Amino acid sequence: MTIPAKIKYTKDHEWVRIEGDTATFGITDHAQEALGDIVFVELPEIGREVNAGEAYAVVESVKAVSDVYAPLAGEVIEVNEALEGEPEKVNSDAYGAGWIAKIKITGDESVELMTDDEYTTFLEE
Amino acid sequence: MRFLPHTDTDRSAMLEKIGVSAMSDLFADIPAEFHLDEGSLNIADALSEAGIVRKFTRAAEKNRNATNTRYFLGGGTYNHFVPAVVDYIISRGEFLTAYTPYQPEISQGTLQALFEFQTMIARLTGMDVSNASMYEAATATAEAALMARRVTRKNRVVMAGSVNPRYRSVTANYLSRLDGEFVEVDMAGSGTTFGTDLDKLIAAIDEKTACVIVQYPDFYGSVYDLSPLRAACDAAKCLMVVAFSDVSAFALIESPGAMGADIAVGSGQPLGIPMGFGGPHLGLFTCKQKYLRQMPGRVCGLTSDADGKRGFVLTLSTREQHIRREKATSNICTNQGLMCTAAATYMTLMGDAGLATVARHSAAALQSLVSQLPDHVTAASGARFNETVLSFVDQEARDAFLAAAKAGDIFAGIPLEQIDSAAEPRHLLVATTEMVETDDINDYLAILEVTK
Amino acid sequence: MSCNDTTETTFKYSATVGIQHEEPLLFEHAHEAPESINLPGVNGDISAALSAFSRQQAANIPGLSEPETVRHFVRLSQWNHGIETGFYPLGSCTMKYNPRVNEQVVRLPGLAHIHPDQPQDTTQGVLELLYELQGWLGEISGLPHLTLQPAAGAHGELVGLMMIRAALDARGQQHRRKVLVPDSAHGTNPASAALCGMHTVELKSGADGRIDLDELKRHLDDETAALMMTNPNTAGAFESDVKEICQLVHDAGGFVYGDGANLNALVGVARPGDMGIDCLHINVHKTFSTPHGGGGPGAGPVAVNDMLAPYLPVPRIEKQGDTFALVANCETSIGPVLGTPGQIGVLLRAHAYISAFGRQHLHQIAGDAVLNANYILHRLKERYHVPFKGLCKHECLLTDEIQNKHGVKTLDIAKRLIDLGFHPMTVYFPLIVHGAMLIEPTETESRETLDAFCDAMLDIADACEAGDTEMLHEAPLKPFRRRLDETQAARNPVLVWQG
Repeated sequence: MTIPAKIKYTKDHEWVRIEGDTATFGITDHAQEALGDIVFVELPEIGREVNAGEAYAVVESVKAVSDVYAPLAGEVIEVNEALEGEPEKVNSDAYGAGWIAKIKITGDESVELMTDDEYTTFLEE
Repeated sequence: MRFLPHTDTDRSAMLEKIGVSAMSDLFADIPAEFHLDEGSLNIADALSEAGIVRKFTRAAEKNRNATNTRYFLGGGTYNHFVPAVVDYIISRGEFLTAYTPYQPEISQGTLQALFEFQTMIARLTGMDVSNASMYEAATATAEAALMARRVTRKNRVVMAGSVNPRYRSVTANYLSRLDGEFVEVDMAGSGTTFGTDLDKLIAAIDEKTACVIVQYPDFYGSVYDLSPLRAACDAAKCLMVVAFSDVSAFALIESPGAMGADIAVGSGQPLGIPMGFGGPHLGLFTCKQKYLRQMPGRVCGLTSDADGKRGFVLTLSTREQHIRREKATSNICTNQGLMCTAAATYMTLMGDAGLATVARHSAAALQSLVSQLPDHVTAASGARFNETVLSFVDQEARDAFLAAAKAGDIFAGIPLEQIDSAAEPRHLLVATTEMVETDDINDYLAILEVTK
Repeated sequence: MSCNDTTETTFKYSATVGIQHEEPLLFEHAHEAPESINLPGVNGDISAALSAFSRQQAANIPGLSEPETVRHFVRLSQWNHGIETGFYPLGSCTMKYNPRVNEQVVRLPGLAHIHPDQPQDTTQGVLELLYELQGWLGEISGLPHLTLQPAAGAHGELVGLMMIRAALDARGQQHRRKVLVPDSAHGTNPASAALCGMHTVELKSGADGRIDLDELKRHLDDETAALMMTNPNTAGAFESDVKEICQLVHDAGGFVYGDGANLNALVGVARPGDMGIDCLHINVHKTFSTPHGGGGPGAGPVAVNDMLAPYLPVPRIEKQGDTFALVANCETSIGPVLGTPGQIGVLLRAHAYISAFGRQHLHQIAGDAVLNANYILHRLKERYHVPFKGLCKHECLLTDEIQNKHGVKTLDIAKRLIDLGFHPMTVYFPLIVHGAMLIEPTETESRETLDAFCDAMLDIADACEAGDTEMLHEAPLKPFRRRLDETQAARNPVLVWQG
């Protein structure tokens, strides 16, 4: 399991990479491992406004289903359409090709974010 | 007791192994105040097998049935022919007594039959995908409305007043406890006689509308072009839901899919399932591929096993209640599985040609009847499949005819107000199937003549 | 893979069923469809108006001759396990023998070929049987008012909750919309509540797997509409505090909904209505032996007390003098919930099952069901982890905790059972324990069968301890198909044949 530095993590096992006024969302390696083989990702609509902590996507495995919560507030500007045909990318590359959505950050609303070290400690607990 | 294998000796030996002394000890965790005395319930004395057969036979003999009476009854339940093979196949213990195929390795028979069923239903209705059943048509219609709300994230449902009143009232009931609006568009007095007024329906659509529900052929048997509605739904970005009560129609007339339906639901009872006083029947649920993940109910999908051999499994189960619980697409669990196997067997026996014959004979019988009606009875105008409304001068005339027909071993129709409480009590809902012979129509017409 | 060790056990058990054929999909049969079968009816013209709507493109339903159709579906049937072929210890599913006489009587023309809208004076026979069944289910449940109409257990839940909601609304308590559901409940409970426009709050089970009274008290308030309880619960334990639980809910102004999925433990022995349950659905396809049919049809009659009786759905079956009637008009009713009078053929089979036991023997259903479950528990409790100690009711709950130490999971045990000739038990349910195995034998199994099943379970425990785990991971090896790839099916759903 990997936990890259330079991106932030939430207690619900999402990650966020902030670059300027945009942010990229995904689920962590730990989350994809716990879910097992991902079979479907329900992506948000482009243009949708999401609040921090709001469920913006759904990730499904064969026997489990999980809402994915937005770490920050913003407007969805891009979604990873490749996941529609290849949801397994979330399993194989959770922090790269398995990203879910990009948002334009609006305001400073956010859920509690952790660094990689803090998330590692959180998982150990 | 013949269904219980244990003797008292077995029971004693087993109790001893468990380490208790009496059967009642097994129930010691139930507070004593709730224990019943043996034999204290007010239930009939036990019957032998012969006694059960005698009792049921006597009860059955009190009911007039399709082996001794000619049926012109429809309204959602139809007296189509049921081939012997269908009942034989669903009587086989391996189909009849199997559980839901959650263990696919030892349930491939049920699963392949479901896959074949889904395929044939999708083809017959002209839709992309089918689930593996709902209870019956009215609840299937309600589920279609709920699905359209999920797909569109809108919550206004518009329904034509020419949909079977039972589908309407069940759908209204299902929606009444949820946020949103349910609009029924009255089809009476609109210039259309016992049919569907699409202009009036289209006028009721707005941008908040999740779906429009029509029946095709409608409750009164009317067949009409749905393309204006399709265009209106596209403009309002809402779904077109098509309900139907006799799926055999689509072997003869254009399917809901060809008419542009997003969701098509209805009754599969005509596919080899006896009327059975209303059940068990078969609810059909089909939709476009892109809405698949919002579809309620179980579905069977193609896959392969550990050796690479083709096989089938229940799939997309994360939509269902046992996984998604309060967020499930529906609460449905037990469905009409065996009736899917019945319908699959029936369609296999029939093929395109047989299904078309069933539909053509059903429609031809209606045409024969309607074209020979005496002057004092009028039939609703326009294209009708196998069902129409006959109007009499008054209730007395209609009821006199019904009584005479009944005395002549004909159930001549359903008084319309019996299902459609808003209807005047002088109309008769009449349906025909391939079980209606020319002689039956002649007898029907002769009784009409004498009760003029 | 290693399966050498099975030589001896193969002698005892087998999952093979004679000759097995690979049967293609009916769409793959090579030849053209035969002539249409002979059908009765009017071979005349359809109206010109209707002709204008003729289907343009054939549906492409292939059609086989009758002998081919029979062989196709009989071969498919032979790939299935059914209660008539073998033991089916599915917990909370109550897979019992389905008497053949029930199949015979419901096929009488006077019961099978009748229309729900034909004149009611021509259906008095069926109405009388249904009315009698209503009375019996009222007696058995201790809740005297019935609707037979709900089509399945989940539908019954919805109908029951609709009645509870209507009763609360009649009291002016439109704010009561909270439904308490134990975490051990069936998934249908929260799904039905949502469909009824109510929201659920999950109650965490106590350490003994039962409802925790303190947890219940914490969540009861003036927004509570109902508690949904399954008793015995899905861990197979009777909720001995049921009287106090019902009292607490009633004192808080709510109703107690009983999920009757596990009624088989109580039939003729004790009645939910006497314990304070207000409303109970009955799964006749479980308790009263109507066949499961590979997923249905079932029926879910709902029994209620006097308080909820005004809200029963329509139509109702009533006796008016000497005649029986389907009555559709009632102002206080929640209204119609199904387009037909109900799953009549299923209900009639239930009538026949109760008739066979009658007043004298009905209690023996629960008696032998509970005896059999405890017998299995007793034989397996040393080798499998039992999360909640004590006697069980009609089903017993084990987990894979001991086998986990050898890397073997519940799924492996379940799949290995198939090789040994048994349908697996319910697995991974209830959710309150890890690796659940819920075993329900029912009253119609012999001691010989129970022993054979227990022997098989003990063999699996032996194999685990002997380190023969690879064989368990590979199982099943014997049936017609091995483990199916569910991920592939869900990622790329193929629900119809495109050939």
